[in-house]
Order: sequence, then structure tokens, then C-alpha cells
Amino acid sequence: MRRWISQVLITRHVLIALGLGGLAGALFVAFLIELDEVTSANAFCTSCHSMTYAAESYRESPHYDSPSGVRASCGDCHVSPGLIAATWDHFVGTKDLLKQLFGPDYDDPVVNLLHLPEAAFSAREWFRKRDSATCRRCHLQSAIQGERANTAAIHREEAVGKTCIDCHYNLVHRKVPDARTFKRDAWNRMIEEEFGLEPGTAERLRSDGAGG
Amino acid sequence: MVGIRERLYRVGPLWLPAVLLLGSFLSGPLWAEKVKLDSGQWGHQAGEDCVSCHSKSSAGLASQWRESAHAAAGVNCMDCHQADRTDVDAIEHEGQIIATIVSPKDCGRCHEKELAEQQGSVHAEAFAIIEDRLPALADNVGGPAMRAASCDQCHGSRVKVKGDGSLDAATWPNSGIGRINPDGSKGSCSACHGRHRFSKAQAREPAACVRCHSGPDSPDKEIYEASKHGMIYAAEREDMSLESDEWVAGRHYTAAPTCVTCHMGGAGKLPPSHDVGMRNAWNLNAPISERQYLVVFEDGAKMELPESAAVPKRGSELIRADGSRGTVKVVATPKRRRQAMATVCFECHSKGFTQGFMEQFDGVVALFNSKFAIPARRIMEGLYREELLTPTPFDEPIEFTYWELWHDEGARARHGAAMMSPNHAWWEGMYLVGRNFYARFVPEARAIAQQRSADLVDAVLADGGAHAWLGDSEQSSAILGFEAGERP
Repeated sequence: MRRWISQVLITRHVLIALGLGGLAGALFVAFLIELDEVTSANAFCTSCHSMTYAAESYRESPHYDSPSGVRASCGDCHVSPGLIAATWDHFVGTKDLLKQLFGPDYDDPVVNLLHLPEAAFSAREWFRKRDSATCRRCHLQSAIQGERANTAAIHREEAVGKTCIDCHYNLVHRKVPDARTFKRDAWNRMIEEEFGLEPGTAERLRSDGAGG
Repeated sequence: MVGIRERLYRVGPLWLPAVLLLGSFLSGPLWAEKVKLDSGQWGHQAGEDCVSCHSKSSAGLASQWRESAHAAAGVNCMDCHQADRTDVDAIEHEGQIIATIVSPKDCGRCHEKELAEQQGSVHAEAFAIIEDRLPALADNVGGPAMRAASCDQCHGSRVKVKGDGSLDAATWPNSGIGRINPDGSKGSCSACHGRHRFSKAQAREPAACVRCHSGPDSPDKEIYEASKHGMIYAAEREDMSLESDEWVAGRHYTAAPTCVTCHMGGAGKLPPSHDVGMRNAWNLNAPISERQYLVVFEDGAKMELPESAAVPKRGSELIRADGSRGTVKVVATPKRRRQAMATVCFECHSKGFTQGFMEQFDGVVALFNSKFAIPARRIMEGLYREELLTPTPFDEPIEFTYWELWHDEGARARHGAAMMSPNHAWWEGMYLVGRNFYARFVPEARAIAQQRSADLVDAVLADGGAHAWLGDSEQSSAILGFEAGERP
């Protein structure tokens, strides 16, 4: 019986097909790994002009410029660990490309800033849903000592039921308030003041951009 | 002119009830007010979490609170710092919606009486009344950075909340007493009440006022320390009952008065009040001092009016400094305000002593006005009118001279007389006013007026005769160290 099976199933064609399939599979996995590598890199992310604004604040932050020499790349924080999850994130991320091509003019610094709060809110939600998995790539909660005397105790006792992003936001990119206290009007006025624009310009720019 | 002594006698026995009535209008019921809010209204659930984390992250702050009456009563961080998400300065902090700034309005949730007294007081309005005048000195002579570090630290800032929720560092941190808060309320309780311990004793100390009431233009710390009051306070501080729950002069302590005693404290039957300027009859920090009415409106707002203005009637409408209309509830005349202050004195001094002192003080103010302030102002008016000076303040040396004449030396002389430092009344005060006037101001004015000096300067000096001694060059005296006949 067993012999019959091996005679019928393990034919030369099957072996060739298995070999080729295995090779193709291995190449595909390698391709995904490479793809993830390339598309998680800072150079790829900032190849759109709109993303260079996010990079400016990032370069000022300790996540870029750590005395220990550890540097987190865009993907280290914004792409999930694990090949399947990472691939999925990149797939979902193609919507950013579509918005870049057909959405508002994110390359304009004013338009970019006017849309920043929503981007920040959804990024924070993304971290929260994953229990801040990308933070935990590098940071081990139980090993946090900090510079102040009781940072370790705070991370044991006060952090119960919380995830990293609940407390640690506005670390890398330009400060955006929590969604619960965010005031669109005040935000728009701040951007107008910063760029010397007439009051009301922000509202006009946002409604112009919505349709593309 | 009728002296205050005669005027007080003329009013006779009516004035004491009048003062008490004034006190009750402006200060509400007697003594340290108990909080009326039901205790179920505080003790926020999330407060324990704040304390747990802050005991680790900022242990000093948490310890201060633990030693406070707030902690003893069960009032925690969230009771004061909680905010509504729609508040201008609301932020998310470790899962809670809070505000960094605790405004008088927040404190007033429990401390209603103190809030009502404080709002509209000269302290609460300390920034609003100088906001328009500030740039000419702070920005032109100094620079914008000076405001945050100096002017605004006493007067208060107009706190700006940025669109990203952070407080603009040009306006915060700030505990200036006239701070304009994001919620629209004016003032900062922590200007005097150090957070987070909020010790009664600390606020009753003269040191509570020193951060602002010191230095060249209002050397009240220095004056108090150099006065008999300050001298005795320093020696007998342990008898001041500074920790006492109620703190009424003459009842709970008699050793010496502090700043609080005379300007705010309960004394005999006079109730305490957080309206610090209520008992002041004069405006001593003005180019020319005038006695002031205190107008209290139906909505609780207050306004000062010079004695020369028409007395507003109760129930009449007045336009206020901010342009709004208000219905007059009560008007305290300068005399009533003086009587309120004198009531404090009476706890330790006789009527005659008190009235005599007030006459000495009023005499200095009147002398400053008539001999220096009014002539200097008339000379300056003439120079501006004839376009010998530009309208921009401080772009000509004489403008500094005039400013210091009333704002620094003139204020020192008047404050020195008001609070019994002989040294500040004369050497730090009126002596420098005189030196400034004769040796700087008048020569500078003459140099500017040139051939028009006769009508723009000399005619003003000749008016009233106070400066007639300048014309007598043969008045020999040994005061400069030269005996008669020694000088060539």
C-alpha cells in the first residue's frame, strides 16, 4: 500500500513541481522579507515629499538621535513585527500612496499640518490595538529603569491595564493633543498664525483638499 | 482745609456702623469662611492614582499636598485640576482630562467668599490695568523676553493656550496676581498661597507679599522691615499665632500687624476681605495721588473713581473700564475706606494717635502732589503741547527723569509715610524727589524749552511759592559743612 502510494504520487513530475514550488516559495518569502526591508526604510518612506515633514521632527527626537547609538527607523515603529503582519501593514499602507496621488496636496506644509491631527489619532489607535507591539520590539517594560528615582516602580504599578502609547505619545512627531481635548478651531488658528495666513484660510484649504 | 481729625469728629458716632456696613457689603459675613460645598462634592476617585504616581515622579510636590489642609479634608489633585474636555486648556494626562492651571474660578468652587472678594480687586486687575501701557516700557525700553521674566511675574500674564494644547512659554509658567486665565477669570491664588501646601501661616507672613512688593517702585518689604511694626514682628514672631484657624487682630494675636493685618485681615469687628485695596483711601502709585471712591456693582465687579469725579448714585448705571455697563450697588467714599483702615489701627492705638498719624501721612502725599507732582506734570504738558517733546515715551532723557520722579522716588516717599519708615519717607523718598526735581528735571526742562523757559518752566515754579526759596541766594547754612564766612 505504502509503496503504491509512493509509486503513484512521488513521480518525477511531482518531485520537479515540488522542487520548483519550494524554490518559488522560498524566493517569494525572500522577496517579502526584502520588500518589507526596503519599504520600512526611512529612505523609502521619505521618498514622498509629504513625509519629509514627519522626518524633520523625527530627526530632532531621541528615537533618531539616541546617545546609545540605537536608531529606530520609520518601520521599526510603524510596521508590525512578523512577516505576515508586516506584509499586511504594507498592503494596507498602499492607501497612503493613493491618497498622496489623488487626495489633498499633502506636499504643501500647511495642508500637511492641517491633516496631521487625524493622522496622529489613527496612528495612536493603531498602536493601541496592537498593545504597542512595535514599542516592545526594543523596550521591555519590566526592564525600564529611567533616570528618575521611581520610574521602574511607576512602570510596574501605575502602568497596570495600560499600553505604552496611552502615556507615551507626542514623543517623535510634532505635538498633537489627545483626540478627546483636540480643538480643531484652535489648531487651525495656530497653523494660520505660524504661516502668517488670514483667519479662515485653514477651513478653506481643508474643504478644497477633501475632494482631491 | 478741614483735617481728618475734625472730619472724623464731625461724623461722630455714625461712622463706626457705616464702616461695618461697608465691610459687610464688600466682605460678606465675619471671619474665615467655612466651605459651604457639600463634602460629597470632592474626593475625586481618580485622585488616589495621581497621588500614587506623583509620590514617585515628583515626591516633593506630593509631600507638600500631604501636609496641607486640603489633604486632611480629603481634597485631592483631581478636585482642583479636573477639567472638562471642552475647556480651552484641557489636556489628557494619564487617562484623565485635566488642566495645569488652577484658576481663582476653580478655587472658588469651594472658596466662594474669597473669590467674590478677590474678583475686581486691585490685585485681580493688576495686569488688566497696565496691559495697554506696558509695551512702551516693557517692550521698547526692555524687550519681549522681559515681560515673561519680570513684569508678568508680578502683574500676571494673559495666558495663551496654543492650538496644540500646550501653554505658550511667553505667558506660562506665571503666578502673577492679575493673571488672565484661559477660563477668563483674573488672578492667581498661588501668587500668595504657595502651592501645594497652601499653608495659612505662610500666607499671613509678610514674606508672602515680598516677591512683588519690594524694589525701587514699591519697597513695601523694606519699608515694613524698617518700621516699628516690622521691628516688633521680627522680635515677637512666635506670638503671632500664625497657625491659628481664625486670625483676628486684637483677638488671636496682638504682637504686631503684618501686611495682611492692615490690608486684608479681620480686626475687632472689621471683617477680613480678599479685596486687598478696599481699605486704601489714596492711589499712591499714580503720577499725582488722588483719594479714590470704590464703586461696587450689582454683578460684583468693582471700579475706582477719583474723588474729583461726580459721586455715582446707588442704582445708577456707569460705563466701566472694559466698556461694559454696570449698575452701582454701593459706593465707598475715600473717607469710609480710611475709616475701615483706621478700625484696624484702633485695635492697638487710640483714636487721637491714629488720626494724628493719618494727618502726617496725608500731609506727605499732599506735599508731594502740590510741590513736585503737579508742577512737574504741568511742565511736561507744556513741553508736549509745544511739540518740544515727541509723543513717544522714553525716547528723551527727561521722560525717564519724570517717570522716576513719581513712579520710583515719589512712590517710595508716599509708601514710606504710609507705613512708617522715616528713612524711606525722606532719604529714599522725598529727598530724592527733591534732588531729582531741582538737579535733573528742571535743568533738563529748561534746556529743552530754551528761550521759552520763562513761560513753560519758571512760571509753573513761581505758582504757589513752594519754590520761592530758590530766589534767595543769601540763606547761609552750615549744612554742607562750611561755617559762615568760610565760603568765598
